[in-house]
Amino acid sequence: MTGGADTALRLASVTVRYGERTALQDVDLEVPRGQFLALAGPNGSGKTTLLRAALGFAVPGVGHLELFGDDVQTLSVVERARRVAWVPQDESPRDDVPVLDYVLYGRYAHLGWLEGEGREDRDAATRALRAVDLLDRADDGILSISGGERQRAILARALVQEAPLVLLDEPTSHLDIAYQIDFLTRVQDLSRERGVTVVAALHDLNLAARYADRIVVLSRGRRVADGAPTAVLSEELLARVWGVVADLRRDPRTGAPYLLPHHLVAAGAAVPGAFLGRGPVHVVAGGGSGAPYLRALTEAGYRVTAGALHLLDSDLEAAEGLGALTAVEVPFAPLGEEVRSKLRTLLDAATAVVVAPFPVGPSNLPNLEEAARCLGRIPILLVRRPAGVEWDFTGGQAHALEERLRLGGAREISDVGEMLAALAPSSGSPPS
Amino acid sequence: MGDPSATGNHRTRSIRRRSWVLIVLLTLLGLGVFFSPLLGTVQIPAVTVLRILLFRASGGALFPDPCAGAAVPASGCAGLIEIVWDARLSEIMLAVVVGAALGISGGTLQGVFRNPLADPFLLGLSSGGTLGTAVVVVFRVGVGEQNLLLPLFAFVGAIATGAVILAAARSRFGSVETLLLTGVALSSFLSAVLSLLLLYSPSGSLQVDFWLLGNLGSLDWSQDGIAFGVVLIAGALLATYGRELNLLQLGSDVAQSLGVDARRVRVRLILLASIATAAAVAFTGIIGFVGLVSPHVVRRVAGNDYRVVLPGAALVGAGFLLAARDLSLAVFPGTLLPIGIFTSFAGAPFFAYLLFRRRQVSTMGGA
Repeated sequence: MTGGADTALRLASVTVRYGERTALQDVDLEVPRGQFLALAGPNGSGKTTLLRAALGFAVPGVGHLELFGDDVQTLSVVERARRVAWVPQDESPRDDVPVLDYVLYGRYAHLGWLEGEGREDRDAATRALRAVDLLDRADDGILSISGGERQRAILARALVQEAPLVLLDEPTSHLDIAYQIDFLTRVQDLSRERGVTVVAALHDLNLAARYADRIVVLSRGRRVADGAPTAVLSEELLARVWGVVADLRRDPRTGAPYLLPHHLVAAGAAVPGAFLGRGPVHVVAGGGSGAPYLRALTEAGYRVTAGALHLLDSDLEAAEGLGALTAVEVPFAPLGEEVRSKLRTLLDAATAVVVAPFPVGPSNLPNLEEAARCLGRIPILLVRRPAGVEWDFTGGQAHALEERLRLGGAREISDVGEMLAALAPSSGSPPS
Repeated sequence: MGDPSATGNHRTRSIRRRSWVLIVLLTLLGLGVFFSPLLGTVQIPAVTVLRILLFRASGGALFPDPCAGAAVPASGCAGLIEIVWDARLSEIMLAVVVGAALGISGGTLQGVFRNPLADPFLLGLSSGGTLGTAVVVVFRVGVGEQNLLLPLFAFVGAIATGAVILAAARSRFGSVETLLLTGVALSSFLSAVLSLLLLYSPSGSLQVDFWLLGNLGSLDWSQDGIAFGVVLIAGALLATYGRELNLLQLGSDVAQSLGVDARRVRVRLILLASIATAAAVAFTGIIGFVGLVSPHVVRRVAGNDYRVVLPGAALVGAGFLLAARDLSLAVFPGTLLPIGIFTSFAGAPFFAYLLFRRRQVSTMGGA
């Protein structure tokens, strides 16, 4: 139908400028037929521009762009529509028309002048509606269905367009998580079962890694990474391109890599749009003792870190819920050297340490040892322990360490309010 | 392959419903055209009017003596026939043609600008067209060929206005409100120029209100024929763009990605709407709000599919103007008031209502 080229989309040193701003800079890219490619990158990195260039909307100042072997600028509007379909990020219909009619709009490029939609077109629409599970909403108004259903209707419209290449621009950004998974699963099926080439700009790297065959990362208009999700995703990439510190994990079920973002790269680093929050404040905790302090700090605008904590600890849950970076050990095991060095990294970055009243045993005693190493460098706030509660399970070692903290200048506090007062810039530095 | 019958049936049903709407509108309009000659500035018995209509329509086969039993004036039965057939019916047909032109132009402009408040009158196309015709009359351009020159100059005036509007729409400030305000400003300006021209016209005897308020009087069948021909061609062409207009409602980019050459289609549609508007205003002057109201009526009844909205708006517009003519004669027997007065009485409140509703929707966030 569209020539024998095995390459669906090819960009050869494409540069696109909007006035003074360079949106795409010398980008080379080849997308073979049938591939599901995810475009990733921060806001303004050129993802949308690349898609718009492929649609013929943005004209490259330098280089050229081919759709199935032909320069996109030489193709007529109708011919383009037969080769490439588009699911825009934010299509908001004005008029209420039946979902079926909305899907049939996709047949336009296949109909002659004054030719009405025939049986073939209606069959295609029916199949597409079934494929996105919307057949029972065919007669409902496009404005009366939910956002997720509308996005699926637009996908169905792209399907009846029967274009071998489908471009999606942040198709899931307005959808909740269930709809995101549902939508991308359908797109993945489409790519695998029908051999449709998919290029999707996706904000969410984890979704991209889970569904796409290949991830291309753009940064400031340039292609900075390209390859299979496992090869592309890394903590280093996230720090470099997005300025975010994250842990790289692997989904035990799917094997797909995923990133657990924690906080922004330290303030002062030349990261665009860096968050100018206070802190980070490190909270040493365990057994649920630290959660109130973590929450209060976060609410007061501090970035927080926590640890080392054991898996399944409720403090860990709180810390991760707040997006705090943590050092984590498996349950009941003594802190390993790797975890301990991570803890040191966190403490090195911290501007203050809060020691929560956590029960101390041999496995988490190193938390107090590491906290003690910060004496004299940064303020340490020691939460008073409630009287009469047994907490030292180390045979006195923990008591000794806390005593050392007090003598070394750690300031004792009784509650969250005192903690915030002590950290407030106006209260000055605690005695050291 | 699946079984498409489920949606197939619904589809058929909705198509049937839409065609049904058009057929009902057409029937109503036909009845309106048939019975409207009963009303006129001269009192003629209803039976005589109907007899005359059938007599002329059948080429003299029916009712060979249509005036039998009526009080025949000095000019004889031929005088009555002339009043009913040549004066009243040509006036009625002009109302139908002009109303249809304004209705379909309004529907088109609302679609092109994705704006429910667009209308050839509000955007200034009518003023531009009327100004063109005024130039012909005031400066006595080509006396004797005015039936051709009037629509031609009207078209030049309307299309020049359309070009300004299009430029405003394309500029980076081309928001819906900017567009409307540009049109309103343009419309007022052109009306002022028109008034000035007419007041200081060398011939001296022209009535400003005739042009500014719209008028169906003082014409003959040849004017009807020209208006009818132009409107029919432009209207038929416009009606073929229903599908493109449907797609343009999704925004230029989406329409383009689906295969519509948005820019080219837009220019063509504005051109055709200007031609239809020009043909309408060339003989009648400015008649407001027909183009605004008619498409909304169709939308309410038959949905937002432009393949139905465009022909529907033509039929409703024709009916609207015909009703305005009849109402004028029924309320003030003996005189035919400028018809634009009546359309504005009905249209202006409707415009306010649309504006109010639109404001409400946008305040609600439009999520």
